[in-house]
Amino acid sequence: MKKIFLFLFAGILLTFSLSAQLDRSQPPKPGPAPVVNIGDYNMFTLSNGLKVIVVENHKTPVISWQLSLDIDPVMEGDAKGYVDMAGQLMRSGTKNRTKQEIDEEIDFIGASLSTYSTGIYASSLTRHKDKLLDLMSDVLLNPVFPQDELEKMVEQSISALAANENDANFMVDNLITSVVYGEEHPYGEVVTKEKLENITRDHVANYYNTYFKPNTAYLVIVGDITTKEAKELTKKYFKNWEKGDVPKATYANPQAPAENTVAFANRDGAVQSVLAVSYPIEMQPGDPDAIKASVMNSVLGGGVFSGRLMQNLREDKAYTYGARSSLSSDKVVGRFTARTEVGNNVTDSALVEILYELDRMVNEPVDSESLELVKNFMNGSFARSLESPRTIANFALNIERYNLPKDYYKTYLERLAAVTTEDVTAMAKKYIKPENAWILVAGNKGEVSPKLARFSAANEVLFFDPYGRKVESSGAVIPEGMTAEKVVEGYIKAIGGADKLKSVTDQKMKMSTEMQGMTIEMESVQKAPDKVLITVSMGGNVMQKQVFDGERGMATAMGQKTELEGKQLDEMRLQAKMFPELDYANGEYQLELLEVEDLGGQPAYKLQVTNPSGTSVTEFYDVASSLKVRTITTQETQMGPMTVSASYDDYRDVEGVKIPFALKQQTGPQTMDMKVVSVELNSGVSDDVFKVE
Amino acid sequence: MKSNLRNFLALLLVLFALPSLAQTSKIEFTEYKLDNGLHVILQPDNTTPNVIVSIMYHVGSKNELAHRTGFAHFFEHLMFEGTENIPRGMFSRHVEEAGGTLNAFTSNDVTYYYVMLPSNQLELGLWLESERLMHARVDSIGIATQKGVVTEEMKQTRDNRPYGRLLVETVNRAFTEHTYRWDVLGADEHIRNAEDHEFREFHDMFYVPNNAVLVISGDIDVEETKPLVEKYFAEITPGTMNIRRPLPNEPRRTEEVRDTVYDNVQLPLILQAYHIPGRGDDDYFAMEMLGSLLSQGQSSRLYRSLVDEKRLALQVAAQPLSLEHPGLTLILAIPQVGVDPKVLEDAINEELEKARTELISERELEKLKNQFENRIVNSNTTIASRAQNLAMSHTYFNNASLVNSTLEKYLSVSREDILNVAQEYLREDNRVVLYFMPKSQMN
Repeated sequence: MKKIFLFLFAGILLTFSLSAQLDRSQPPKPGPAPVVNIGDYNMFTLSNGLKVIVVENHKTPVISWQLSLDIDPVMEGDAKGYVDMAGQLMRSGTKNRTKQEIDEEIDFIGASLSTYSTGIYASSLTRHKDKLLDLMSDVLLNPVFPQDELEKMVEQSISALAANENDANFMVDNLITSVVYGEEHPYGEVVTKEKLENITRDHVANYYNTYFKPNTAYLVIVGDITTKEAKELTKKYFKNWEKGDVPKATYANPQAPAENTVAFANRDGAVQSVLAVSYPIEMQPGDPDAIKASVMNSVLGGGVFSGRLMQNLREDKAYTYGARSSLSSDKVVGRFTARTEVGNNVTDSALVEILYELDRMVNEPVDSESLELVKNFMNGSFARSLESPRTIANFALNIERYNLPKDYYKTYLERLAAVTTEDVTAMAKKYIKPENAWILVAGNKGEVSPKLARFSAANEVLFFDPYGRKVESSGAVIPEGMTAEKVVEGYIKAIGGADKLKSVTDQKMKMSTEMQGMTIEMESVQKAPDKVLITVSMGGNVMQKQVFDGERGMATAMGQKTELEGKQLDEMRLQAKMFPELDYANGEYQLELLEVEDLGGQPAYKLQVTNPSGTSVTEFYDVASSLKVRTITTQETQMGPMTVSASYDDYRDVEGVKIPFALKQQTGPQTMDMKVVSVELNSGVSDDVFKVE
Repeated sequence: MKSNLRNFLALLLVLFALPSLAQTSKIEFTEYKLDNGLHVILQPDNTTPNVIVSIMYHVGSKNELAHRTGFAHFFEHLMFEGTENIPRGMFSRHVEEAGGTLNAFTSNDVTYYYVMLPSNQLELGLWLESERLMHARVDSIGIATQKGVVTEEMKQTRDNRPYGRLLVETVNRAFTEHTYRWDVLGADEHIRNAEDHEFREFHDMFYVPNNAVLVISGDIDVEETKPLVEKYFAEITPGTMNIRRPLPNEPRRTEEVRDTVYDNVQLPLILQAYHIPGRGDDDYFAMEMLGSLLSQGQSSRLYRSLVDEKRLALQVAAQPLSLEHPGLTLILAIPQVGVDPKVLEDAINEELEKARTELISERELEKLKNQFENRIVNSNTTIASRAQNLAMSHTYFNNASLVNSTLEKYLSVSREDILNVAQEYLREDNRVVLYFMPKSQMN
């Protein structure tokens, strides 16, 4: 009895002591910091000068081969783009194999192989290594650069440019290239259609013949292979690669500007700006400042969690979804960039805050809590990156290329742990320059650029096109005394005069367009003052319908009916007017004559028209004929703002009224050409046509 | 557009990730069950000082009720709201302060949570995941907050992103009975109208140890880890409710469904979806290989013919959705600017007809086997991918060891098997065909 009692008692004690050990209310403490093992690598050099680095890793039966040229950047001039193409085209045909044969043989062994201007990357299972090297060496040593493949690639690149041309990030990237680095520097060259069209097979072949030499190259092999085997295989497949002289080039490094300067690229109809603050820095890979500077940048605007830029611009002010900074090292010249995307009306405020944070970084020491958080994050990141053999390969390559101490990465975490608040401030003082920066913006010139002049020490904004080329702020001068109202009056007169237009009580118009092989028909019926019915059909079936009877409006699409309300209804009401321009001067519209712009060789007055419901449209009226030739609207779609550009051409007289018979609508890369098939004025239209039900 | 399609496919591959794909060297692991039903898998790998602590719950969108879709995904968010011991906002913060990362995903079949940490923080990971399983905060404030977040996410990832509606438009036409007929995000109204008690009931049914597997992979010592698992997870009580699991009850399709969807895209997209068996079925492996035959690599059937030779397509892909119950395989193609989608579809159908009527060559079969071997070997190289594969193998098949034997299954597929699945499943009357057309055309 006693025994059982004691036993039970002991059991209860045990239970108590177990739960006493686990206090769930607090996070548990970590164990001692784990030891980080970074494997060693072996290196040998072939007789042709190729340096081979081997990182053995027998965990999985995979081997990767990374060939990297250690060369200076090349100035490409007016055929910019050929260097990249030379790289890609190596895989498009050799003396021994067509492109299709190369594709098939790579796929057959389930491997991957890609070529680029500064090297080749290939990877496969261990048992296919001979075949892979056979292909890799063929592509390396015997490329033929087929003319038709070059043409295909040029064509694709030109299409890609056209598709991106109106993208704000594309514009800012090009500003960074041309403004921060300058045209005299190889990093400052921007790809354009004209340059792509200048690329010949000679460009591409010459690049390859000049720069692909073993004596300035590294081959990093990672995976399931021994150093001995690596020696045998590399000798076998690469010994015929002949060494030769490779031209070297040094360039005068671009400097940060003496004072802040604003460079602006216009995007018609933009409702947001992409904004970057950037300048070059001197920091090579392996620089003693590198880790400390990286910590500093993380505090400012890097990393997964919020840096100071995010805390300010997003959490506090809600200007943006994301604001980040980067501080990058480079063999030739590094760069600092802070970047964000914000609405038009807060572009200037956002810039104020960015400059404020840069300043604060220099003058206000970072608190120890934020510093610890950043260091922990970078620590964890580093540890996770070790899982990838590519990381180890890059470590080896960097040590060799940049002559880093052999234990550079082994001591990385120690040096990271040793970074202090004072270090961070010192790095900020050295690399953060709120007064010597390029301020680069892609956005709405009319609305935003005037407010940015004050950020430029010279109090003026420099203008650029989407490709980073400087443009003068506007072509022709607005004639003395010309006003927006006069432009609109001129238009009304040109299309028939106010009396004639007012005499139109109803209008029926049929239009058609071809899209992806299908014919779409559009019919609009209008009755003064503001009734309208629009139907869109395809193959005889009505796909979409919109009707407004003067008070109510309904939209039908794919069988779904939606009654229009609020802003949509107001818009419908305004658009239902037969000739809205007649009302532009009635006081409810806002008009602004912005400038005279060159539209494909013809000057046009550029107007900003804001209708009574607050929607803004940019309208272009041809100076010579006074006719409206283009409108640009930015529509708020669920997908975000989409800019639609409509062009009007082929104006014809219909009973004394001039009406455009050719309309072209462009949204991004998609263009729709519409032709007017028939127009009838004053044919007598019953109100029943506009019944809303 | 290319990057959108690429992103979409990447998303597909994450949501419908291949489970348990073996590597030619075996994955070593220990598994056992706690008294409360929690299945535990420990997979040591001391190469780098990292550890991943993950839990997979056997609940996905297919377990939802038709008038309350989106719950499984909703919980993925709610589970970050904190627990009885972890205040709101602190869950992620603990991980970040330790230098780790965390994430989760929901599919039609499972919900998966993981925390990646430096290995000396294993206990932190165990504490975090056990706290969530034991007493996650499922209260009005958290529910209200996440309702807003989830609505935003639906807009951003599905309703506002180009091609974001691909899946939802496909599944609601492809499935008439089975609970795969709605997508993982679910309907906004269902989430908004749901009452707090409904969320609690869902939680009590599915978020229980007997419906979960805990997988720990990385720099651990198995004998030291076992008592720690016991310490944090043993006291959690098992669930008492009957777990709602649907049957694979989709009736056989007898005719093609064809439709056009207008969406916020700049370039049109053609989609064909064919019904296929679930991943446990023998035919599934041949089906995957058929997908590779059609679109993996530049020498693949569809790429070579449609992108390279005929220059009809900008991009083309064939991807089976990796689902527990019978699902779908998708063929997607974006036409070159100026190409009529119908012409492109005809060319696709021509290639599929070839696959249905002609045996592939011996060389092609060998290519497929090599491609799969490569894929499988590479799918198990990180602790994160191994943990996920082990979790899926256990959750779908109750057999984690399948991670080490799936390669054999692929390697034993014959040319006839591939012909058979092409004939059986790539039939006109077994498919949904959708044309996604730019809305801007309909202005």
